[in-house]
Amino acid sequence: MALLYLALGTVFGFVLSRSGAADYNYIQAMFLFTSFQLYGIIGTAVAITAPGLWLIKRYGRTVSGRPVVVPLKPQHRGNIAGGILFGIGWSICGMCPGPIFVNIGEGKIYAIAALAGALAGAGLFGAIYTRIQSAFRLPRLVVGTGRT
Amino acid sequence: MPLILHHLMPIHWAIAGTGIAFVTLALLFIANRRLGISTGFEDVCSFVLPLGYFTRDAVRLARGWRLPFIGGLVLGGFVSAVLGAGGGWSPLWDLGLFDQVIGFGHAGKLAWMFVGGLFIGFGTRLADGCTSGHGIFGLSNFELPSFVSTLSFMAAGIVTTQFIYRVLFHL
Repeated sequence: MALLYLALGTVFGFVLSRSGAADYNYIQAMFLFTSFQLYGIIGTAVAITAPGLWLIKRYGRTVSGRPVVVPLKPQHRGNIAGGILFGIGWSICGMCPGPIFVNIGEGKIYAIAALAGALAGAGLFGAIYTRIQSAFRLPRLVVGTGRT
Repeated sequence: MPLILHHLMPIHWAIAGTGIAFVTLALLFIANRRLGISTGFEDVCSFVLPLGYFTRDAVRLARGWRLPFIGGLVLGGFVSAVLGAGGGWSPLWDLGLFDQVIGFGHAGKLAWMFVGGLFIGFGTRLADGCTSGHGIFGLSNFELPSFVSTLSFMAAGIVTTQFIYRVLFHL
């Protein structure tokens, strides 16, 4: 299975690399409203994924016959605050998380600094989670139940 | 507008969007996985930071698929560079508009990226997702938290870039 994930990731990475989604100029052009490219990419992806997802959930099983499980994300105040912080970072770097990895593969040296920052940011969040938990109404940590 | 990578012309947005949808649907239909990349930061942290947040089941049980997928992202970028017309793979520092308008040397660029990365790492964890998990999958699944998060990060990205390039450094 690991090879399947590697292959799907490679296709995803290639598409991000060649479409402008992992390109600093195209990200800025999206936010400056001077290019439609990224809006077209995200819009098309959602327009096709939405009915596909509906069909898979309606069918209810994966290709191997297991019940389809879609873990839902919790709703809390962090959706807005975290979204804003992430948007600022996306603009500064010109990369969202996927393209950070794609840009490293392309050989863009500075993307390694972006990854280092992202890991530090995630580490910091993990370190202060219990202290900001109530302020943002974050969910209780689920550890050791064996369920995702 | 050509890409920074080898000045290639990008593929059409409809083809790119279709490719992203294909991978997203294949992940769910073949492997029962919900697309999401920023949780991968936690996967990496979970190997070195002994904190409760990183021992969550959601992290421990998903490392086995998300880490190879992320390895694929790196490989996809590498293959894209290798196959690029007249290019081949080589380390590069080019940053397009940033080089033209803001400048800064290599050290400044690394510092800039590290700071941006901090916002990305902390923000995506607080929001519980990024462009893939909220923007692509969550929107496609009509999830309210994903609509809220996507609106928030799109708005913040627009405001920040407009501020950087129209106010701070004049285009």
